[in-house]
Amino acid sequence: MYIIKNSFRCIGRSLGRNILIGIIVFVIAVSACIGLSIRQAAQNTKEETMSGMNITATISFDRQSMMGELNGSEGGFDKEQFAERIGETNDLSFSEYEKYAKAESVEDFYYSMTASFNGNDDFSPVSTDTESETDSDSDNKRPNVNFGGGFGGFGGFGGLGGKQMNNGDFTVIGYSSDAAMTDFVRGTATITKGSVFEEGTKVYDCIISEELATYNDLGIGRAIKLTNPNDEDEEYTLYVVGIYKDSSSNDGFQRAPGSDPANKIYMSATALESIIAASEKVSTTVTDETTGREYETAVTSSFSPTYVFSDVESYNNFEEEARNLGLDDSYKISSQDVSNFENSLVPLNTLSTMAGWFLIVILVIGAVILIVLNIFNVRERKYEIGVLMAIGMKKINVAKQFLIEAFAITLVAVMLGVVIGGVSSVPVTNALLENQIASAQSESVKVEENFGRGERPNLPSGNFGGGSMTPPDNGNFKGIENMFGEKAANYVSEINSAMNFTVVLQMLGIAVLLTIVAGGVGVLFVMRYDPLKILANRD
Amino acid sequence: MSVLTLNNICFSYGKTPVLKDLSLDFEKGKMYCIMGKSGAGKTTLLSVLSGLASPDSGTILYNGKNIKKINKYNFRSKCIGVVFQSYNLITKFTALENVVLSMDIAKVKGIKKRERALEILSSVGLDSEEVNRRVLKLSGGQQQRVAIARALSHNPDIILADEPTGNLDGDTQNEIMQILRKLTQEGRCVILVSHSPQVASMCDQTYELVAQSKNK
Repeated sequence: MYIIKNSFRCIGRSLGRNILIGIIVFVIAVSACIGLSIRQAAQNTKEETMSGMNITATISFDRQSMMGELNGSEGGFDKEQFAERIGETNDLSFSEYEKYAKAESVEDFYYSMTASFNGNDDFSPVSTDTESETDSDSDNKRPNVNFGGGFGGFGGFGGLGGKQMNNGDFTVIGYSSDAAMTDFVRGTATITKGSVFEEGTKVYDCIISEELATYNDLGIGRAIKLTNPNDEDEEYTLYVVGIYKDSSSNDGFQRAPGSDPANKIYMSATALESIIAASEKVSTTVTDETTGREYETAVTSSFSPTYVFSDVESYNNFEEEARNLGLDDSYKISSQDVSNFENSLVPLNTLSTMAGWFLIVILVIGAVILIVLNIFNVRERKYEIGVLMAIGMKKINVAKQFLIEAFAITLVAVMLGVVIGGVSSVPVTNALLENQIASAQSESVKVEENFGRGERPNLPSGNFGGGSMTPPDNGNFKGIENMFGEKAANYVSEINSAMNFTVVLQMLGIAVLLTIVAGGVGVLFVMRYDPLKILANRD
Repeated sequence: MSVLTLNNICFSYGKTPVLKDLSLDFEKGKMYCIMGKSGAGKTTLLSVLSGLASPDSGTILYNGKNIKKINKYNFRSKCIGVVFQSYNLITKFTALENVVLSMDIAKVKGIKKRERALEILSSVGLDSEEVNRRVLKLSGGQQQRVAIARALSHNPDIILADEPTGNLDGDTQNEIMQILRKLTQEGRCVILVSHSPQVASMCDQTYELVAQSKNK
């Protein structure tokens, strides 16, 4: 007990020197606290957001992997073998997709179907190409194998094996449930007139875009007729029950009307399946005049499954479960949500890495300064140490006294550092993050300028920065839109809290570490001292 | 009764012998003076007696027990009290704190240390204002008194004092000697190292060290 009392008395009696040591430790503590807070904020943001977000994933054909395999063979890329392998690959059936949906990790499962149809004289697609309106048939009859889904970012794989999928005037998308209509769920698309068709209905109800409605002077309750691009005699009648506006859609015209978002028609997947089934019933085999290839005239469709997971862990488990259930290696499981979110964390993660290095440098420099100061301190108090030993104080107790002194000063300075560091960590982190993002953005802008695209107000979503993910607003951070004001990459631009109990514990650990490193050197000196020599030299 | 006995003590600094076959006997209630010329080994002897230096050979018995079998820190903090030539006080502490610290180190229990320290300091002639002053702000004589008070604080059997009057004026010398004399009357053994014949004359027994440790 007297050792502690003596330590505090000594601290008080050498206030100037101890304040100097305290200031150095305080500066180290503030810097370390900010560094740790940045790292913690990055970690918290990632964990909390990941745990709070529903993750959707899809299974799609892994063309890239196959091409990689073929590219590795001797003689360069083998196009013939590639075509052969593609031909051998069987499209996954709906029942297979459903089988994987029964994996334990899957919380929900829904899907969408995409098929292409032509219009007629009364119902034509929004297009600048007047020819395509009247004679789309001849232009659009070109085989098009659709990998990975070309419509609205869906990850389906279809149109293989003897069937021909023509690009029609319209893209009809059938949804298995309301949850599958992600544009409406996220609010980028909204109904302006009427309502969305009933979930799972077999009735041929559909919703069309405002542009399409205006272009064809259509309203609620009107019937529209669509024809099979492979067989103009095959006609289907749909009823408009709603008109929607898609704020994310591009106002620019597309060369192919079927690719124009304005020409998308939404309906129930059950109803679309019934159309496909009806088409297959009347399908005939014909030969393509140009290629000489035989194909079925039935309307073809691509299928896009979506698996929903409650958290990242479930998503990570899904791959193993799906493989165990028989999913072939030529198919991959991917989640745009996860990759988009990881992209959004890039500046914060970069900052976190920099903070880690900064922390190490600060601790090393700080420790060296403290060691030097402690050596000076012990040497300066050599005589006092000699006296204490001469009157019977054990070396170990003298060492303890020096350690307690070092720890007390360090602890007080670290506590102050934690308070100041904690208060300043959020604004400092946000300022650094802002710089980081500005730097990333200016880099991107520079690249655009190199391409002569200084101003690009309508960058298609997903081309730069990976997708259109909006980080969920869970109170911990908020995103900003990226360089073109588009939905390219929503970087995490602000954190609201960085300090937590973990950081406080880490700071305490740093205090102990600094005390051991700095005080330990002092202890080594004390243990080497011989009181007789010290006092003799003094005398 | 012998409180401290030296049997054939030899001590050397490297190859230079300082103490050779030195045998002495110290009793309770007596004041001893160790004299000798500079370099004769007076302070070395005091270091050996206080346990700060270990003899090359020979034995030191404290109340009949070899001090090698006693923890040297315990021996220094509990059995003896040392008054160093240059006082060796903790300069950043007050007189009172120096005395209390010594009692803390000796793990003195069962008394109110602060009161006891004040009592001792008062007995060596320091007033209440002086005891709360940092020792650096005290005069040489006052520091010497603090050093004596510190040596007495844990109630040791033996007081070792190296030139306790060396830096003091005549009147103060007499006062310090009176204090030390009083300690012998309380049953303690006081061993002084001094050059002064006047100091030696006030002691019960004088040993004179000569080079190569010829004791008298």
